[in-house]
Amino acid sequence: MGGVDVELIDIKGMSDNALKEFLRKNAVSLNVFEARKIVELIGRNPTITELYIFNTQWSEHSSYKSSRSVLKALLPMNAPNVILGPVEDSGIVELGYINGERYGIVVSHESHNHPSQVVPYEGAATGVGGIIRDVLCMGAKVIATADPLRFGDPNGKNKNRVKYIANEVINGIAGYGDAVGIPNICGDVYFNGSFDENCLVNVVCLGIVKEKDIIHSYAPKNAEGYDIVIVGKATDNSGFGGAAFASLILDEKDRESNRGAVQVPDPFLKNVIIRASYAVFEEARKKGIELGFKDMGAGGIMCSTSELCSDGNYGADIDLDKVNASMKNLPPYMIACSETQERFAWICPPEFTKTLLKIYNEDFELPQISLGAGAFAVGKVTKQQDYILRHSGKIVCNAPIKSITSGIKYDRAKKAPKRNFKEPNLKEPDDYNKILLSVLKHPNIASKAKAYKHYDTSVMGNAVIETGYADAGVMKAVDNAAFGVALKTDCNPRYCKIDPYWGAVSAVAESMRNVAAVGAIPSALTDCLNYGNPEKPEAFYDFYEGVRGIADAARNLHYKGTTYPVPVISGNVSFYNESASGKAIDPSPIIACIGILKDYSKAITMKFKKENSTLFLVGDRKDELGGSVYYDVNDELGAVVPIIDFERERNMIYAVIDAINAGLLLSCHDISDGGLATTVSEMILGGDADGEIGAEISLDFINLRNDKALFSETSGFVFEVEDKNIERLTNLFRFYKLNLIRLGKTTGNKLMISKKNKQIINLPILKLKEAWTTGFAEALE
Amino acid sequence: MPRKPNIAVIYFPGNNCEEESLKAVLATGMEGKIVRWNDRRGIEKYDGFVIPGGWGYEDRIRAGVIMAKDPVFDIIRKEAENGKLVLGICNGAQALVECGMIPGLKNNVEMALAPNKNPFVSGYYTTWVYVKSAEEKNRCAFTGFTEKNEVIPIPIAHGEGRFTTKDNELIQKLIKNKQIIFQYSTKEGKIEESFPTNPNGAMHNIAAICSKKGNVMAIMPHPERASFIRQLPDIVDLKNKFAGNLTAMEEPAPAMHIFKSMKNYIDEEVL
Repeated sequence: MGGVDVELIDIKGMSDNALKEFLRKNAVSLNVFEARKIVELIGRNPTITELYIFNTQWSEHSSYKSSRSVLKALLPMNAPNVILGPVEDSGIVELGYINGERYGIVVSHESHNHPSQVVPYEGAATGVGGIIRDVLCMGAKVIATADPLRFGDPNGKNKNRVKYIANEVINGIAGYGDAVGIPNICGDVYFNGSFDENCLVNVVCLGIVKEKDIIHSYAPKNAEGYDIVIVGKATDNSGFGGAAFASLILDEKDRESNRGAVQVPDPFLKNVIIRASYAVFEEARKKGIELGFKDMGAGGIMCSTSELCSDGNYGADIDLDKVNASMKNLPPYMIACSETQERFAWICPPEFTKTLLKIYNEDFELPQISLGAGAFAVGKVTKQQDYILRHSGKIVCNAPIKSITSGIKYDRAKKAPKRNFKEPNLKEPDDYNKILLSVLKHPNIASKAKAYKHYDTSVMGNAVIETGYADAGVMKAVDNAAFGVALKTDCNPRYCKIDPYWGAVSAVAESMRNVAAVGAIPSALTDCLNYGNPEKPEAFYDFYEGVRGIADAARNLHYKGTTYPVPVISGNVSFYNESASGKAIDPSPIIACIGILKDYSKAITMKFKKENSTLFLVGDRKDELGGSVYYDVNDELGAVVPIIDFERERNMIYAVIDAINAGLLLSCHDISDGGLATTVSEMILGGDADGEIGAEISLDFINLRNDKALFSETSGFVFEVEDKNIERLTNLFRFYKLNLIRLGKTTGNKLMISKKNKQIINLPILKLKEAWTTGFAEALE
Repeated sequence: MPRKPNIAVIYFPGNNCEEESLKAVLATGMEGKIVRWNDRRGIEKYDGFVIPGGWGYEDRIRAGVIMAKDPVFDIIRKEAENGKLVLGICNGAQALVECGMIPGLKNNVEMALAPNKNPFVSGYYTTWVYVKSAEEKNRCAFTGFTEKNEVIPIPIAHGEGRFTTKDNELIQKLIKNKQIIFQYSTKEGKIEESFPTNPNGAMHNIAAICSKKGNVMAIMPHPERASFIRQLPDIVDLKNKFAGNLTAMEEPAPAMHIFKSMKNYIDEEVL
């Protein structure tokens, strides 16, 4: 038990009721049990600074207190291609060997949901900023970002606020990403009434690092006496309580008072810090210096410095007066826990500290670039495993460091909620042209160009397939080899609403199909698990089922060529996505899949390339339209969601990858939202909706009613093949025990679909284009 | 053997296209280096300068204004007066206009790069467009390999890229001086003033302007992002033609000619 020089809060002496009231008054979100637990852990009453530290560290956001045991028990996090699992700021998966050296793709995936609901521009922008820090601090070159977004119903009762949030979130992502200069290579957007009061803003970031150059998020060996250096923007009071805030249920009434918890983005400063940090990496590698480096996100200085030291089995002694604060008289707990943006913490051997400070403060002139910014040595790594903070010459925190970092854990109860969904009894439509156009115009289907054309998709010059042109974005990974990296995010909230398990399975499978459709091997997954209040057994059941679905899919859709899972290497849990009235969002386990191409030049897009090529389908159409867009345009939800047959799914994915890498396909697109008819329409249009090659296809192969055949979202692929390659392709698919279904031809300037010589759809390309390019734009207006 | 031309790609705080600009420079066989704005000692030794895209000095006040007032710009201007090459891309182009080097007819600011006029996306806009070479080959140091009327696929990525002026006669003067080098056009080379052919509402569809002498060019689209076949999108047939051919993917795309022309010019005129 360490001594302190300031007043203690008499938790021991307070009655439960008095303690409860005290916590509420001081905006501490810990409950009475947790507050008393602090006393037990540190062996005395805490100081106010210590109380706020535990408040932050034990928030759901920082401690994963409800989710940790489930994630650990279920998710497959290991496979031979994993360089680093989800234990530090980012996970790392093997890219491959170049000149005998192993390279890794660094991945991080987070949510910034609550801040984005309150102040959408800043919330989304700082989300991008934070995820970039997570990847950079592994010693990586940052190469790409992606943004899965979920907004409320643009035509519902909250439509004005929904549209406002959607536009501001898109502007925030653009405002930050464009300026910092990292390309945005994919994303997805769904609108759905369950997100009216809780939008979801997830962010994914990729980087590249040589295995031997990884910088860990912990103090290296023999670090006793090393300097603790913080770098970046001058610390202010912004974002104080941010981690705790992320773990609260939002009440729209409190919007104004919650604003203080949101951070202020500065992509300009970040742009310079990134380059300065690259210079530090280079210099440290040259001199063989081992460092620790960590993003300063939730919990600020306290969280990053305590974890850096604790994970290396050290303590820390920090003088908060040495922190570059931009406001006078900030109380110590505010300096320690504020979430001011654009900051990092380094653990640095004293002989290198001067060099490190010079790079940031002189070479890149941080103090001239942003008032009060810079790099400052604020403390020392200690052998004694205590976390000590000093302020105005007094010790304000002195607690065993492991008590701060090891968190708290709950085993939450789960109970299956009632789900009384029914399949609708829809009359077969008599005008299929009209139905297809309304599906294409549905904001969840329509082109998202109005969002991503606002993002810089080509900066850095490494894009091979930019956002929108294919199922996944593709980058050339490194300069000195042909490797390509593909990325896509997925999760259909309507499937998850009906069935949280199969919805999660479908999210994993779709993300894998998406990277396979450009020719990349699904190599790793990340998950951002967005759910309601985990203290409610029904919400926790949905969470549990979602994790189980991800785990089963990752285990059964093996890493190609092995029986290992496609590992989950990074992720995040966002609970309490629930409105004050108790309405939770539809379960949203958002998945990102990282795909790797040995040769990026093999990557293909979805757009038809030639007239008179043959179109094939793989994946039988089934009557499982629950959650489909077709049901949605009929104001129905349904009950039977797509079920993934793991063996078939695996074989489809492998066959498509092999076919693309053998150069047998001209274009390829997976079947998901909107079904077969949508897939073919999008292949006609292409990412820029400038396609000029139509298609004639026949549904003779199928016995389903036409609407189900056209719009069922059962998994599958459609691809375009030159006649000379059909035989090889057929053999390849036979090897995988798959039948190729011949759909028709690319031809003319229309989409013509018939069955038994009877025309079902006959639409000129211009009509398809008009519907597909206006639906999303109108939802934002 | 004569030495290779040596190019400085200047990084102002906030720029973000310096690396890919350097890669395009190096791919031509020139030498080059990224030089920090505050590391300007001795930059006179370089044969030419690229001012890359991004948000130099956070675009404070207006895009390019503060960059244009940075001490390093005084040196660049002097070197340009002596005939050295300066290529300003996007934010770099904005700075060249803000410091009066482009179009450079008077000794002050004659034009502006105003916020895009775009009916689809307001503010920052990234997309692939086509530009047409408006003047004869070799009109300036950047078009030594570009025939008149040649159409080049190239991306734009900017919020303030609309070349404009209040001086009614300036555009006519620029045409007369053959200073308008690239114009936004259709794939077939047709100059249409309307969106999306003209993606930002620039006067006279201007995408790039050179100085009277032809040794300085301000271009809003990004040639460094369109310099290799692999960088092109599938709307450009050249990309689809070479699908699966790794060697061809690493070959130069048409916009690389801008950098190649710099090399040729320095090789012939300077070295």
